[in-house]
Amino acid sequence: MHFPVAPPARPRLDLLDPFEVSKLGGLEVITEGVVEGFLAGIHRSPRRGFSVEFAEHRMYQPGDELRYVDWKILGRHDRLYVKQFEEETNLRAMVVCDASRSMAWSGSPENVLPKLAYAQRLIAALSLVLLRQRDATGLITFDDDVRTVLPPRARLSHWRQLVAMLAALEAGQGTAAEPALRRVVHHLRRRGLVVFVSDLLLDRDLALKALRFLRHRGHQVLVLHLMDPAEVELGGPAEARFEDPETRAAVVLRPRDWAGAYHETVRAVVHEWRLACRRHGIAYHRVTTDTPYGVVLREALAPSPRAA
Amino acid sequence: MIDFLHPWALAGLAAAAIPVLLHLLARREPPTVSFPAVRYLVATTREHQRRLKLQHLLLLLLRTLLIVALVLAAAGPTLPRRGVPGHAPSALVLVVDNSPSSGVVVAGTPRLRELRAAARRVLARATPEDALWLLTADAVPRRGDRQTLLDQVDALPVSPRRMDLGAALGLAGEVLAAESRPGEIALLTDLQASAVSPADLAVPLLVGRPEEPPPANVGIARLETGPQPWGAGGGRLTVSLAGDSGGGTPVSARLGTRPPRQALAHVGGAAVLAIPGVPSGWWDAEAQLDPDELRLDDRRVGVVRVAPVARVSWDSAGRFAAAACEVLEANGRIARGGEVSLGRLARGSSIVQPPDDPAALGALNRALAARGTAWRFGPPMREAAATDSGPLVGRVRVLRRYQLQPTGSGRTGVLATVAGGAPWLVRSGNVVLLGSRLEPSWTDLPVSAGFMPFMDALVNRLARGEVSLADGAPGDPVTLPDLVSGVRQGERGWRVEGGGVFRPNEPGAYYLLAGEDTVGAITANIDPRESLLAAAGDAQVRRLWKDARVVSLADAGDAAFSSAARGDLRGPLLWAALLLALGEMALASLWRRQPR
Repeated sequence: MHFPVAPPARPRLDLLDPFEVSKLGGLEVITEGVVEGFLAGIHRSPRRGFSVEFAEHRMYQPGDELRYVDWKILGRHDRLYVKQFEEETNLRAMVVCDASRSMAWSGSPENVLPKLAYAQRLIAALSLVLLRQRDATGLITFDDDVRTVLPPRARLSHWRQLVAMLAALEAGQGTAAEPALRRVVHHLRRRGLVVFVSDLLLDRDLALKALRFLRHRGHQVLVLHLMDPAEVELGGPAEARFEDPETRAAVVLRPRDWAGAYHETVRAVVHEWRLACRRHGIAYHRVTTDTPYGVVLREALAPSPRAA
Repeated sequence: MIDFLHPWALAGLAAAAIPVLLHLLARREPPTVSFPAVRYLVATTREHQRRLKLQHLLLLLLRTLLIVALVLAAAGPTLPRRGVPGHAPSALVLVVDNSPSSGVVVAGTPRLRELRAAARRVLARATPEDALWLLTADAVPRRGDRQTLLDQVDALPVSPRRMDLGAALGLAGEVLAAESRPGEIALLTDLQASAVSPADLAVPLLVGRPEEPPPANVGIARLETGPQPWGAGGGRLTVSLAGDSGGGTPVSARLGTRPPRQALAHVGGAAVLAIPGVPSGWWDAEAQLDPDELRLDDRRVGVVRVAPVARVSWDSAGRFAAAACEVLEANGRIARGGEVSLGRLARGSSIVQPPDDPAALGALNRALAARGTAWRFGPPMREAAATDSGPLVGRVRVLRRYQLQPTGSGRTGVLATVAGGAPWLVRSGNVVLLGSRLEPSWTDLPVSAGFMPFMDALVNRLARGEVSLADGAPGDPVTLPDLVSGVRQGERGWRVEGGGVFRPNEPGAYYLLAGEDTVGAITANIDPRESLLAAAGDAQVRRLWKDARVVSLADAGDAAFSSAARGDLRGPLLWAALLLALGEMALASLWRRQPR
């Protein structure tokens, strides 16, 4: 008696450990794998919903929902067109990526990607998802100043440019998020989506002020707060001089004695960010760099930023 | 004032710097770790910094104090403390005055029994950590544990030796000077006024004294036997009394086993008892009183030498010696004859003076050598000197003399010396050599009061090979003459070396033997001051012994160790160290737990 044998399941890169995934190939390949896995894991893109504001028609393609078929045109011209609405066609996303020196840090380089490397892969995956939805996606990187700007485009080929920019990205020096965030408004003249990827080791008030400004301009804002696991749980030698790679500020202490208090401080900082973001309608997600990309994408692309 | 039992241990206080040094060393160069979220660390530490600094300081303080407490405990600190039963480890010299006066019976109880009871009470308060000495009238400090000293106290007899309390306290102070522990002297005494003498004390002194006044007492202060030897006609014994009784006291004295003679004597006076003639020989003389509260001073012994007077030829003796011999003859102390030749070397016993003419010295020395004499006359000495203050000559000035030189390697037979130890009167066999002629131009002796007794002893005893009689107290050292080879007291006897020291331990007559011949005697009697039982007042005691605390014998036990009693701080310090250690552990664990 023979039973049908199921084909071997392809591993879903979006759910694997990011460090392990990073060993599989280049940024582009990996990102595509991640996005494929991510998209295969969901039945509908959370942004595939059509808004009620009509924008234009386009030719019907297999897979399009029949409810969006314009029956009037079918009746008049015997051609299948589907109606496209504002959000679908006009979503313009700008990813703002922190490339300061602190982002290049990993508490365990043998096991965990640096925050910047994680951000590169995450942004590439997110951009691919957005571009596949025909959402125009751009990229701004910054450290102590705006370093690179890639205006949003909806062409899928634009993703190559974006990935190339990400791949060329290296950690800079300090962190000044406000100019980069304000720069977004030059490229998102209509309402759009701003994804701010940073370790948030910056001037919180200034950054929040800029984020509030973006919200004020009608943009949806998503903050992905990247943290290395070693930044969440303090470790290290019996006594050490901890030095900030950006500011060179240092403090000497015994990690064992301070781990508990430090953990509380981190928890409080995250809580304060979350509260501040929620207060202004900003979606906030704390992301540790050992979190699989799929998990982050699912949270980031959830229907309502306010629910984040 | 804090004292330390082991002050050298205080050097360990340097270890108190260890926590600080460790702290500094540990903080010197920690490794640098790159960490972007320093701002979170700063925020974390800012919140707890003040408390942590306080905890750090507190920990440092606790650890330093812990070491200091341990080091101080090792050094054994003590503090003055009164009115508490315990005491710190101390050094105590217990001085028990068991001198003859302690034998007095008061209200039916011997005084020494009270002293022993008080001593037991003092020792009962001693702890095993105390250093204890017992000092009695024999002036030998004995160290021992409490039980050993209790046994010694229980067996302590009345000593025949006098105890000078000032000297005893000085000795006790010397004993304590070598002791690192706080010291104290506890003196238990009848506080005889005659025994109290000044003492410079550096340690606390507790004086325990009886409350009852001493009884009236009369004792024999002296027993004099007069010039020796006695002749066939007998002699006289003179008995002097000491004490504080006003009435007449019957005194009896006797020679050997002859019937005693009795007389009535008064304190401060003397009774002379004529003793009839007895055969030649050495006789024990004894004087006695009726028994009273102090028995030891009711009897005194002496020695009488009875022998025919010497038959002396003094034709060439010189004017002063001849005059003395005539006086002695007139008093029956010598007779004319050829037994002893005074002034020149003759066939029998000879007392030889140096010749007036130096030219005759050589012939004299040759004659002495031919006689086998161990001494000869040396060169003349013209510088003035003085004799040695010995019992035979006393201290008289010598203006001229000849050196007396031994012909052999030894120097035996020296009877008197001049200052510096040069022989002045020597004997070899039956020849006696004088370094100076018995004339005022040579020595002051012929014109001194001691000349007649000297001449008496010279012809009657020294020329016959006998030595002087000595009188002393039990325990006093007596230098024996060269020729003495043994000492005998009653049935007991000791082999001795001539020139050595002999200590008669008990009252009595000790005969000096040269081979089988008795050549002299030592009499040992208790010090006559022991008969004076009057006690010194507390004021006198405090004046002579600064800061002395005078208590009754009954209170001595409680008072002992309290003047020098010092609270032992080791216990509290160890407890403090334990608490500090617990505090350190608690704080350290709290510190590790609290910031979490």
